[in-house]
Amino acid sequence: MTEFLEVLRYREVLWNLVRRNLKVRYKNSILGFAWSLLNPLMQIGVWYFVFKILFQRDEPNFMALLVTGFLPWLFFSQTVMDSTASVTQEMALLKKAYFPRTILPLSALLSNLIHLGFAFLVLLGLYIAWGVDVNIYYLWVIPATVLVALFAYGLAAMLAAWSVFYADVKFIVSNLLGLWFFLTPVLYPLHLILNGRIKTPDNWVEVFLDSHLPFLKQLFMLDPLTIAVEGYRSALLYGGENFVRVAATAGMTEAQAAALQASLRLQYPLLPYVVGAAAISVAVAIVGQIIFRRHADRFAEHG
Amino acid sequence: MTVIEVHDLWKQYRRPHVQARSLKEAVLALVRGQTGYDEFWALQDLSFTVEAGEAIGVVGPNGCGKSTTLAILARVLTPTRGTVAVKGRVCPLLELGTGFHPDLSGRENVFLNASLLGMGHKETARRYDAIVNFSELEEFMDSPVKTYSTGMVIRLGFAVAVNMDPDILLIDEVLGVGDEHFQHKSFGRLLEFKQEGRTIFVVSHNLESVRMLCDRAIWLDRGCVVKDQDAGEVIDKYRAAVEAWERSLAEAKARNATAS
Repeated sequence: MTEFLEVLRYREVLWNLVRRNLKVRYKNSILGFAWSLLNPLMQIGVWYFVFKILFQRDEPNFMALLVTGFLPWLFFSQTVMDSTASVTQEMALLKKAYFPRTILPLSALLSNLIHLGFAFLVLLGLYIAWGVDVNIYYLWVIPATVLVALFAYGLAAMLAAWSVFYADVKFIVSNLLGLWFFLTPVLYPLHLILNGRIKTPDNWVEVFLDSHLPFLKQLFMLDPLTIAVEGYRSALLYGGENFVRVAATAGMTEAQAAALQASLRLQYPLLPYVVGAAAISVAVAIVGQIIFRRHADRFAEHG
Repeated sequence: MTVIEVHDLWKQYRRPHVQARSLKEAVLALVRGQTGYDEFWALQDLSFTVEAGEAIGVVGPNGCGKSTTLAILARVLTPTRGTVAVKGRVCPLLELGTGFHPDLSGRENVFLNASLLGMGHKETARRYDAIVNFSELEEFMDSPVKTYSTGMVIRLGFAVAVNMDPDILLIDEVLGVGDEHFQHKSFGRLLEFKQEGRTIFVVSHNLESVRMLCDRAIWLDRGCVVKDQDAGEVIDKYRAAVEAWERSLAEAKARNATAS
């Protein structure tokens, strides 16, 4: 709590660092800020090539599922990577003057939230092009973002602290993030798979999880990233009329899709997992902050 | 009024052993309960007070704890034991010229630096012209700092720091920054600060500057206070001690030479 008041008192430093992070990311590039929008577009272009052209996936909404799920993942992984490096990178500032050290991981979080905002604008543009209906369910994106932001902040803070003392941390982090990406349903839509009603070529995940410990499946569902990625999809693509359109991608008729949507609401036990993942996110945020605080006093000695 | 009160201050550093041992050694060390570092007391039971408006110089050989003391007063480091109370707005001039981002312009860096020293955007904007004037870098303010020379960066850092409005100025070895002209100018600014009744706490090897600027000096050696008196006296005694030590070294060398 006192830490929170300290950060408020030093908010100018926080804003300046966020502004600086944003400016510096695209330094020396002619297009500058446009890269904030171009980057996700180009990533989408790569996937279009891989999945549509190489793998011949012809469902009309496949790209929408992919791109929507990618946003929270990108936000999470960038925040964790930026923040892990933040304290070691800003050693010069740490040695120069006092400011609450929490500002460093916080500035990584905030600058990536702003990038997420930009990417979201690109996404809305694509939706309009794809004919996705923009509706009131979109507001669910906000709690999903809060959930993934808390989780990202907690991990980011503890990793930032540890990486001051052990350089190994940043190598481990980049490799673990690579694995985590595939353990998160970004490249495959979870909602339709786990239910087992609709066969897609992707259900190897379910086969794997079912044939191993059921515990693993639970863990997978409790991963705040699973919930955030699915949360984004539910909010943006499954809400209202959009569900029918997405279900149609798996070859269902409108009547079947509507029936599935109704039955999902009754049978699909997602809510406990959402609550569980939210609890995990809050716990990770608190533990991360405590670990960070505990080490913060010794950062300047170690640089 | 007492503005700085340091009471029984101890500071311990851990000096890690040089670089990664092999995994086997690390595991063995862990099993045997060895730590991978030496412990080292940089400050040992340091106590002193500073009154408002005083100008104090800290002198002593390398590694005596001068900079550690200053960093603790600036809250960059935390004490291992003991208490430190500082009253009023503190402006630390530590590591001048660092903390500038090479890709940002001089102007942007001024605002970032000023916020680190506790000054808000509006206040900085009001003082911006004075800062630029003092640094004499008008025509460079919109170029990225990576195009500056080392001296220019330090000048800008100094200009930002002395244009804050501090009650207490903490200065680490920056009495001689920049060229001859800028040195005169910055020293003059510090004398002005003193006349304005602000407290100055300076760590320096430049003994003559300390003599000119400070009323009182503290001589530190291996983390302990040797003398804490009138600046002129302390400096004379410190200098005499260094000369005596050098003489004894020279004599020992001469003895060794004749012996062999």
